[in-house]
Amino acid sequence: MVAPAASPAAPAPASTVPLKRRRAKADDGVITVGRSRAGTILANAAGVVFSVLMLFPVYWVLNTAFKPADEVLALEPTFWPTSPTLDNFISAFKAPLFLKDMLNGVIVTLLAVAGALVVGFLGALSIARFSFYGRKAIILVVLVVQLIPFLSLLIPLFLMLQSADLTNSLIGVSITYLVLILPYTVWTLRGFISGIPRELDEAALIDGCTRAQVFWRIILPLTGPGLVATSVYGFIQAWNEFIIINTLNSPDKQNLMAWLLQNQTTRGTAWGPLMAGAIITSIPVVIFFLIIQRNIATGLTAGAVKG
Amino acid sequence: MRHGKYPFIIGFLVVPVALYAVFVVWAYIQAFYLSVYEWSGLGPVENFVGLENFRKMWDDTTFWQSIKHNIFLLVFLPLITVVLALVFAFLLNVGGGHKGGVTRGVWGSKVYRIIFFFPQLLALAIVAVIFGRVFGPDKSGMINGLFPESWSPWLFLADERYAMGCILVVLVWQAVGFYVVLFSAGMGNIPTEVYEAAAIDGASRVTLFFKITIPLLWNTVQVAWVYLGIAAFDAFALVNIMTVDRGGPDGATSVLSLMIYRNAFEFSQAGYASALGVVLFFLTLTFAWVTLSATRRESVEA
Repeated sequence: MVAPAASPAAPAPASTVPLKRRRAKADDGVITVGRSRAGTILANAAGVVFSVLMLFPVYWVLNTAFKPADEVLALEPTFWPTSPTLDNFISAFKAPLFLKDMLNGVIVTLLAVAGALVVGFLGALSIARFSFYGRKAIILVVLVVQLIPFLSLLIPLFLMLQSADLTNSLIGVSITYLVLILPYTVWTLRGFISGIPRELDEAALIDGCTRAQVFWRIILPLTGPGLVATSVYGFIQAWNEFIIINTLNSPDKQNLMAWLLQNQTTRGTAWGPLMAGAIITSIPVVIFFLIIQRNIATGLTAGAVKG
Repeated sequence: MRHGKYPFIIGFLVVPVALYAVFVVWAYIQAFYLSVYEWSGLGPVENFVGLENFRKMWDDTTFWQSIKHNIFLLVFLPLITVVLALVFAFLLNVGGGHKGGVTRGVWGSKVYRIIFFFPQLLALAIVAVIFGRVFGPDKSGMINGLFPESWSPWLFLADERYAMGCILVVLVWQAVGFYVVLFSAGMGNIPTEVYEAAAIDGASRVTLFFKITIPLLWNTVQVAWVYLGIAAFDAFALVNIMTVDRGGPDGATSVLSLMIYRNAFEFSQAGYASALGVVLFFLTLTFAWVTLSATRRESVEA
């Protein structure tokens, strides 16, 4: 990392100024105090190499999805589809159960996210705005439970839902997903609500709002970005889940993830449509990620007290 | 905010607490209860065996094999991921030198941030399918395809020596971006004056990294370590989808979570699976507790 010529370990005070100027010139205006140019190049090179490693598999998926079938299995791999085609996407859409499983996924995800938002918002509100007996215990349980691998709960969960006649049903899966994304929802919304100054609540109360109105008219609108962020995260979690739905439901009530895995085993080498299916499945998540990016940048309650 | 708060609190908390009580607390009680029965998963639970399931576990070679693999992941997954994420978060934030009084990241650091985060968006199911292709054991596999025809292809997941390593690579690949972003956020909170003061005093990048970044970021690193360790206790999805014979070849990739699943839903050993679940529960909590208390140290305020 350190090139000997350009790293003054302990520059003498007298030589500091000319030394700086000299190296500033060499670095095109970058004053590298105590830093080496070789190090900068190395750092950038490391970034590029690592990015290539991170992206290569994703690039390969895209590459495969747009290739015609004979090119996918060619022994000489080609790094770009010579005759790009949408056939794989069409055959993915036409594949049995693809559209049905997509719809199932949408239903289950929307139910779970909507439920978690309502339940989580109210829970977060009471944790963030009131102090009461057992508050710390609730926070602790929520955090600890989030840590433990969900798999050790799969058997009791299955039994409970079975006894309530909720296995092989989209409702049962939705409730399970709701519970799965609830801790994160409560935790994140709690943070957002705590960020809203209490002075706003008090001002509204003095102006004659009831407490319910304070929640409805002050806190809820100001938690907007938080609600978007948590619902996107919840969406990603629920949309990408497949172990629970696969265990609880029969083949006609799966989501796209389960479809993907099913097709990987039954249709072995049909990589083209499979990769196309993977791309279609990932699109909503990528779109929502881009939304959340912008929303987080907008800032939370910036300006709420100033005005 | 004193008067009549309890109606609100009770009204707001009744649903989440009830959901938790049923789906988590009660579920765990049931898991503990089932772990002392020999039960296939169907019909009434009546064959009480005490701690027999745990004794059986003690003699079960697959169990010890799985524990070994979980420990392998537990050591290397947090270690590799945290080191890589710290180095790259550092490069993205302060690696590019110092210009006009502003410490910069390397060129294109905003693009990198998105690139590194991308794997995090892909479902484990998709990641597993993709890496099935990456590690394809013949010439159609991505890595093997890169090498000339004369090479004998690597077997990757089909070779019991490397199978677990392949799983580790995938876990790191998927996790690292999230921690780059997490550590970047933490580094963003470190005042640039601190770096600049050190840089003026002649500190090199390496010195900045070890003497400033790490101490000021210690709490975040600690949390990351716990989360990654817990991910190492899970790893079910990848092992289940990617490995030969699910956990093979010859048990070379079996992990605890896979054992639970297969015993419960394939081998009709729900009682035994519950006992394994109880072990997983305590292992996870013990790990989290030990890590948090062993790495506790005075946090340095920026």
